[in-house]
Amino acid sequence: MEADKMIAAAMSRGQRALSEHESKLVLQAYGVPVTRETLVNSRDGALAAAGQIGYPLVLKACSPDLMHKSEGGFVMVGLANEAALLEAYDKLTARLKGMTADILVQEMISGNRELVVGMNRDPQFGPCVMLGLGGIMTEILKDTVFRMAPIDAIEAADMADQLRSRKMLDAFRGQAPVDRESLYRCLIAAGQIGLDHDAVQEIDINPVLISAAGKVTAVDALIVLRSQAG
Amino acid sequence: MTPTIEQHRLYPLTCPRSIAFFGASNNYSSMGTIILRALLDFGYAGEVFPVHPKETTVQDLKAYARVEDIPAVPDLAVVVLPTRIVCETMAVCGEKGIRNAIIVSGGFKETGPEGAGREKELIRIADQYGIRIIGPNCLGVTNTHHRLNTTPHRYHGQAGFVGLASQSGSFVTQMFTYLDNLGLGFSTAFSIGNEANTDLVDCLEYLGACPHTRVIALYVEAIRRGREFVETARRIVPHKPIVALYVGGSETGRKAALSHTGSMSGPDDLYDGIFRQSGVVRAASLAELFDFCMAFGQLPEPAGDNVFVQTHSGGPGAVAADACGRAGLMLPEPSESTKARIAELVPATGSIRNPIDVTFTKDIVQFFSSLPQALLDDPQCHLLLLYYYLPADMIKRALVRMGVPRQDLDAKIEEIAKMMCDNIRQMIDSRKKPIVCFSYQERGETAMKMLAQAGIPFYQGPERAIRSIRAMIDYRNYKRKLAAQVAGIR
Repeated sequence: MEADKMIAAAMSRGQRALSEHESKLVLQAYGVPVTRETLVNSRDGALAAAGQIGYPLVLKACSPDLMHKSEGGFVMVGLANEAALLEAYDKLTARLKGMTADILVQEMISGNRELVVGMNRDPQFGPCVMLGLGGIMTEILKDTVFRMAPIDAIEAADMADQLRSRKMLDAFRGQAPVDRESLYRCLIAAGQIGLDHDAVQEIDINPVLISAAGKVTAVDALIVLRSQAG
Repeated sequence: MTPTIEQHRLYPLTCPRSIAFFGASNNYSSMGTIILRALLDFGYAGEVFPVHPKETTVQDLKAYARVEDIPAVPDLAVVVLPTRIVCETMAVCGEKGIRNAIIVSGGFKETGPEGAGREKELIRIADQYGIRIIGPNCLGVTNTHHRLNTTPHRYHGQAGFVGLASQSGSFVTQMFTYLDNLGLGFSTAFSIGNEANTDLVDCLEYLGACPHTRVIALYVEAIRRGREFVETARRIVPHKPIVALYVGGSETGRKAALSHTGSMSGPDDLYDGIFRQSGVVRAASLAELFDFCMAFGQLPEPAGDNVFVQTHSGGPGAVAADACGRAGLMLPEPSESTKARIAELVPATGSIRNPIDVTFTKDIVQFFSSLPQALLDDPQCHLLLLYYYLPADMIKRALVRMGVPRQDLDAKIEEIAKMMCDNIRQMIDSRKKPIVCFSYQERGETAMKMLAQAGIPFYQGPERAIRSIRAMIDYRNYKRKLAAQVAGIR
């Protein structure tokens, strides 16, 4: 399977994590809805990708070594046209001087409801799945729920219902209720990847954005690999 | 598959026919002696063979200088010896053919690296001979139905239906009286100590199969075999409720916190999810743990979350209604036909809505029998919460006025209270609907004692009662979820 090869290749290269793009390809293979995006390494490539995806766009530096992109200024959002895209491209590549990274041209999803989905390998319980409230209040509200993998749609539904902020998932201030099936797929997938791939230590899908229409999209993702010390 | 209880590998440990006892003497203050006395005083019916290097008689039992001298192969060894001779004792027990041991002695893993090495050696010996160990560093097992008690505390209470597996010895022994006051008793209680080769999951599995155990209580500090715990609990929950008190923050637990989200949560959240996924009802305190057991062990399952509250005062009714609301329980109005039926029993000053409030009744039979019956008959009513206030003094005054002789008063009061309670119990059984009582009277008062005797859950204040009701409804929901998941797999 594609995910297998990708993880094995990353391990053999000694990567500590998959890049954002690789992480999303693995997630997508497990049914997680992810942003439409293309990896490029030239201005022309960026323009071509933009033509296919459509504006507004997001540009991100993409490398397994860049686990925290926003802090380093490696994410540019709200690029509305070609001029903005090229300007952002040049700025980003300038900042990346000396680093090996590709540029990810990504559709820009809007929505003001954010969730976090995660997986971690617990010493006692094995792969465990987390669902939490995302966005700026994440750390303040600490609204998270956990389950041991595997989980099914019934368990995923119970997780969603256990959130204190569950009402956010319903119709809310003129926004449609969340596409629950998609949300459940994110949770089920996170657990299943943990069960299927011993090399995966941790998954962090943050944010999972809910659009005004209720559509669920993994906007950023990181798959951390088991440490290969020794 | 859960084996039958006799096939369970812990059966000879909880129901031994004979015991080799190490560490008792004629010195009354030694721990070994205290434990042996508690065992004998509880009326253990099997044979006990004390092993002592010098004494020929220990606590009036013939003592043996060496295990080899015992004229039989005991089912179980109880070991209350100094740490340094525990391992060698286990080896001679193994040679003798003893295959089960309760090791009360401490000084193992709990004391640091040296003790951990000792425990490894102990496990190696146990593996070599196929010995199943409870402990070390535990208080062992209390099986009230087999009259086995290897703890230093005497068991005075009744044989009961609460099965317990506890990572604290105190929460076994120091609960004897507490449970008795609630009208409860243990079926089998395990103090599991260091879990050398028998852990929480093994005990859980045993209690799941134990016919005397109607509800399982767990005191948990850390679950080691996490996946097995979830699988075992999920097998038991469809036919027996499990209630757990988890105390978080241990080092193992801390490590268990999901790393990237470590700042967002602690092990407590993880365990919370794991319990829910397993169908295990979580208790927030030790009091709640046994409050829930009281309801689970004695009441039929509610068919839904509609509560009818019956009271004879506005205050307790209002407090109960409020607490129900906070717990997410419904208080629907009785149907029109029920209202018509109870209108005759409730004076105009009262309320036939919900809470149903009689304000005052001259007829206690009406209050404790006709009215609850009418309410239970309403299909809208899934559960009745009854304000129970029946002070002996009030009955006494009535009886005195009726001319009952002074010397007969106490007996008569008990008789009346018992009649009320038996009535309630009958209603629970015949209607298959739970009745939960709450009161501000003390447990020691006559009417309250009668409630406990009749096996009717009674709580101090509506909040505790309603949390227990909530637990019953949660359990019902968990079972439904598990059933749906099993159906989904097919």
